[in-house]
Amino acid sequence: MFSLSSRAWSPYTAGIVIGLLQIPAFYFIGTALGTSSSYVTISANLAAFVDPSITQIKYAANHMSGAKNWWQVALIAGIVLGAFISSRLSGTPRWGASPFWAKAMGAHTPARRYMMAFLGGFIMVLGARIADGCTSGHGVSGIAQLAIGSFIAVTAMFGAGIITANLIYKRV
Amino acid sequence: MSVFAAILIGLAMGAIFGMALEKGRVCEGGVIVCQMQMSRHTMLKMFLSAVATGLIVLSIMVGFGIAKLSPKATLFAADIVGGAVLGVGIVIAGACPGTVLAQIGTGYKDAIFTFIGGLFGALAFTYMEPNILKPVLTTGSYGKLTLDQVMGVPFPAVALTFAAIIIGFLVWLEKVSPWQAEIGPNADGVPADAPVEAIAATKV
Repeated sequence: MFSLSSRAWSPYTAGIVIGLLQIPAFYFIGTALGTSSSYVTISANLAAFVDPSITQIKYAANHMSGAKNWWQVALIAGIVLGAFISSRLSGTPRWGASPFWAKAMGAHTPARRYMMAFLGGFIMVLGARIADGCTSGHGVSGIAQLAIGSFIAVTAMFGAGIITANLIYKRV
Repeated sequence: MSVFAAILIGLAMGAIFGMALEKGRVCEGGVIVCQMQMSRHTMLKMFLSAVATGLIVLSIMVGFGIAKLSPKATLFAADIVGGAVLGVGIVIAGACPGTVLAQIGTGYKDAIFTFIGGLFGALAFTYMEPNILKPVLTTGSYGKLTLDQVMGVPFPAVALTFAAIIIGFLVWLEKVSPWQAEIGPNADGVPADAPVEAIAATKV
């Protein structure tokens, strides 16, 4: 069930492990699990090289330094590391783009998929920042804290996601 | 806490997080998109398991006074607009802001473009926030509103009841649609009957 060399755990086991991560998050950091504000920390610090005046924007300044912000940047770096180790231990490394995309989109080139990935990433984090949270911050953590705003955001997320997925992709 | 200690804790927690995302197979765009098409439910099962665990863990921590909750403020317009934009982005990208990093870890090259797109999305928000987005962000602001407050019941009572409902729903969902069948033979959300030539064509 917990074997690191197995290709897949049941989604329940995986979900429980993620839920348990709330313990160190609240105990050590005093916050809930989340990932999307780290995009602000990284991009604002990088943008400061080109545009030093970005530090004048209060929102950017609030995200550029401090233990909580760099904790979340480390968290997302750790996700890359954990997924890398996990996929190698199970002998399931991936490359290029998933074969899923050819099935869902029909005519399919790598360039087209990469453009979609960039566009999707842009929209996804823009939305997460407007809502002040993503699938982890609003979803996993917000609902676990019974936050009304998170119930609204997650409903909107799944609602818009369900409509979009049925409009733009074939059923696989 | 020092920044250095916070980074070490973050790395360790992230490694466990990433491993769970990979083993749970939500590192697959196919798993995420099929969830949004409501044809297969691996993502929902994992998501709700994490929520139920969080509800139980936080009930205990709040009950014993170990943790203080930090719910996000309720901002009606921002939650609806932002949540919807997030949902559209997740479907186009085939990833969430967290799972994209697990995709990078497993080796998917398109996920790197998703991540870079996300950094630009965050930057666009940062520049638009003070002027263009302020009206959206402040409309319907109700502060840190939570279900237990609204109901006037202690947090653990509502949280544990809600967790029990979620667990009941998951037991039913698993009976209707077992998880092994949903992830497919290659554990990428692509079912067994996928044509082989389509798979070969995308090895880029």
